[in-house]
Amino acid sequence: MCDNYEKRGFGAIALRSLRQIVHRPIYWLGIFILPLFIMFLLCDMMQEGLPIKVPAAIVDKDGSSLSREISNNLAGMQMVDVADTYDSYTGARHAMQKGEIYGFFMIPEDFQRDLLSGRKPVITFYTNMTYFVPASLLFKTFKASALYTKAGVTMTVLESVGASAIQVTPLLLPVNVSERGIGNPWLNYGIYLCNSFIPCTLQLMIMLITCFSLGQEIKYGTSRKLLGMADGSILKALTAKLLPQTVIWTVIAIFMESWLFKWNHFPMHGSWFWMTLSEMMFVLACQGFALFIFGIFPNLRLSLSVSALLGILSFSIAAFSFPVESMYGAIEIFSYILPIRYNFLIYIDQALNGREIFYSRIWYVAYIIFMLVPFLLIPRVKKAMQKGVYVP
Amino acid sequence: MLKTIKRYLHDFFEVYAREFKMIFHDQGLILFLTFLPLGYPIIYSLIYNPELVREVKMVVVDNDRTSSSREFIREMDATQNTHIIGYAADMTEARRAMDSHECFGIMEVPDGFGRAIGSGEQAQAVMYCDMSLLLRYRGFLVSATDVAMNMGAQIQAADINDIAPLATTLSTGDFLPIRNVAMGDITSGFDSFIMPGVLILILQQCLILAIGMAGGAKHERPSLVGYNPVNQSPSVMMSMLGQMACYLTLIILPLIFLVHYVPLIFHFPMAGDTLQELAFLLPLVLASICLGFCIQGIVWERETIFVIWVATSIAFLFLSGLTWPRYAMTGVWRVLSDIVPASWGVEGFIRMNSNGANLDQVTTDYRNLWILTGAYFILAYLVQRFAVKPYLRKRWIALHQS
Repeated sequence: MCDNYEKRGFGAIALRSLRQIVHRPIYWLGIFILPLFIMFLLCDMMQEGLPIKVPAAIVDKDGSSLSREISNNLAGMQMVDVADTYDSYTGARHAMQKGEIYGFFMIPEDFQRDLLSGRKPVITFYTNMTYFVPASLLFKTFKASALYTKAGVTMTVLESVGASAIQVTPLLLPVNVSERGIGNPWLNYGIYLCNSFIPCTLQLMIMLITCFSLGQEIKYGTSRKLLGMADGSILKALTAKLLPQTVIWTVIAIFMESWLFKWNHFPMHGSWFWMTLSEMMFVLACQGFALFIFGIFPNLRLSLSVSALLGILSFSIAAFSFPVESMYGAIEIFSYILPIRYNFLIYIDQALNGREIFYSRIWYVAYIIFMLVPFLLIPRVKKAMQKGVYVP
Repeated sequence: MLKTIKRYLHDFFEVYAREFKMIFHDQGLILFLTFLPLGYPIIYSLIYNPELVREVKMVVVDNDRTSSSREFIREMDATQNTHIIGYAADMTEARRAMDSHECFGIMEVPDGFGRAIGSGEQAQAVMYCDMSLLLRYRGFLVSATDVAMNMGAQIQAADINDIAPLATTLSTGDFLPIRNVAMGDITSGFDSFIMPGVLILILQQCLILAIGMAGGAKHERPSLVGYNPVNQSPSVMMSMLGQMACYLTLIILPLIFLVHYVPLIFHFPMAGDTLQELAFLLPLVLASICLGFCIQGIVWERETIFVIWVATSIAFLFLSGLTWPRYAMTGVWRVLSDIVPASWGVEGFIRMNSNGANLDQVTTDYRNLWILTGAYFILAYLVQRFAVKPYLRKRWIALHQS
């Protein structure tokens, strides 16, 4: 590689490490292009907040004035895009199987007549739960439509027997629970996913690049030169080697923080100081974690395989969608050995909910533990760097 | 003529056999083609296997302290989604419980709740939810809606009798029952929702990773297992076909495991016909193999495939429309989604596996998968012919001269 045998010391190693990053396109791809592309993809794709205008259909088997009124009301709702009207359940089900619609609202035969004569017709709506988000939106809209219909009928009947509107109104909804979503009252899907998936992508790439850059030294037998440049001090060699990466990753992490909270106006109810500190410590924690893995498997291929495996599993085990307390205990514990878990918890406490720093103190301590554990295995890394032979 | 055909066949089988030999001598490749499709889906499914989020913790601030408010809270606690862990004296105390991560929601029942019910007015309660995980919020919302509706229906029936005894239709129970039927993933479980799609993503990624790594291995040691790129024969075309046949052979067992046994083990929806699903996934496998051949053009050493390709899984997950549906994607993302085989694979497979669609109901996806197979095959040919082969040849000659 670009070794200069004359030069020794911290600065020379750091410069050499920086040169490697600049000269190899794979570092450009892994450090800049992939993380920033995924960040941009997630933010831009979900910038609407919710995938509104869910394609849906109405099955109107009644064809009365009342059923047409319900259909018209439903078609006018913001969340749905009533693509079609079918006259049978089978037709609508086929449309769902073909992927044309995500759900349908069914008004039974003789609906109006049965309703007015008290024969209790049933309104049924079908949602395709294989797509969670559109199905949940449809569920909400369909349910609201059905309830409005019900309220309308109650009102008409009661007023026709002489009750006044003041008496009737509370009857439509005797108990009302209003919900307050703290931090994300719009149920914005972008806020919910970007804040966890983007840092997790960063963790994956930091782990891969750290193991890759160290493993390359051993694979190509340059690790002995590296140690030589550091006068045999493994600490000096590793710090100088990884410091340029730390600086770049920190810049990227802070850029991501600014991108999300400053320019995309994601909720930021806490202090910028603690969030920024969290991002900076997160970078070091990820590098520490990667170094720990490299200490266990001081070999390019194995350390990369393990980093890739853990990095991808992090997206699920760190519990961004499915809460840890609902997981099996044996799996739950794994969520706590990942740096991203603490980044996510700090984000929830600080940015989303604006809690006192007191409540998040433990998460910051966890970061420090991630930074310290690799020191246990440093002698092992040194041994591998001295002897290391690449086994294909 | 006959001789040419014979030579082509000979080349084809030679490449086929040689590729097998190479794969079985390479731990990394074996890992990608066995552990990844066999072990990974199991780990993944286990993470989400509890399926439903139950008993999410909630604290109550009851400023009313009447029998009605207590009944309301009891009903909340009785739902499967919510677990009331205790009462807080005031909002400050409740807030502190939430800040210390002891609960994820607060139900505030204001003074006058019971009086409102008694006097025929609307009773109000306020629910504060932590929004970090939407599944927890969803649980609270379902509980609160159910309880409000049930209590409401009882009060309604009683009150209507008082106001208007003539309106008998309304007072004898629910006059317009509303039902919801969940289709596809009928239990609305999270595992059953996400895994069928993830299985297809795993399939595509494991093929591309394996082929990318195989490309890197050949770049590093062109003479690996008798590989001799100096000969004009086998031609690029036969070499590609032979390799495709080899990977297709190797993926058959994992494929059956993925589409049949994983859903069987974890009780995912299995409404489709397995043979039709396998027929549907054939072009997905072929397109992924060809995409792998294209990626070989930029993989110079075996390990770089990790850095280049692992993170794309996240991009493909979102482009597939599993979380953010395709109809809501804008311009460039829609196009990107269109050119990824797994996007069509995920869509078609979910509809077959979970919604019970037949092959003829997923024709759009099936046709697009074949179009992608064709397009990636041509692209792969160009990459192999003009980038991979000349490079391998140069490396081989250089190594053999020294």
